Amino acid sequence: MSIVVRIDVELARRKMSVGEFAEKVGLTANVAVLKNGRAKAVRLSTLEAMCRVLGCQPGDLLEWVDD
Amino acid sequence: MLIVVCAQVVVVATWRLLSLVRADRIFSNASGVWVDTILWAIGIGWTSLVAMFVVVGLRADDPGLPLLMFVLVVGGAALGLLMIVMRGLLRRATTLRTEMETVI
Repeated sequence: MSIVVRIDVELARRKMSVGEFAEKVGLTANVAVLKNGRAKAVRLSTLEAMCRVLGCQPGDLLEWVDD
Repeated sequence: MLIVVCAQVVVVATWRLLSLVRADRIFSNASGVWVDTILWAIGIGWTSLVAMFVVVGLRADDPGLPLLMFVLVVGGAALGLLMIVMRGLLRRATTLRTEMETVI
């Protein structure tokens, strides 16, 4: 997938675990999809929750990889 | 006789589909197989019903039995068409669910 969701940097900055992050965002059913990088779409509401929980901008979380 | 067998196949396949619903696996490929089974059984049963209807209709004295069989044929056709629509809906729902599983 050419758009990668990178939460590792932000999670490390906030010292939050992936499970805790998923629970706060309300993502319990799809944590595996997020972890494996198999996500094909992100709801704007989910992106908003992720930015609020991590205190960052969408550009910090999404990266375009040319492959 | 064949119609009875077809009816039993439909009952068994419907029971399997209900089990899939309970296991929350209804939107998978397995359900498509069972729906196709139901459709084939209804199709075969309906075809033999039509054959019997033609035979009975050609050598009937009174219109009672052919009329009853005609009603059954029309009812069977309606049921079959309904199942075709349902099959299409299930396929579409399965595709949508598979797509949504990759959305976070």
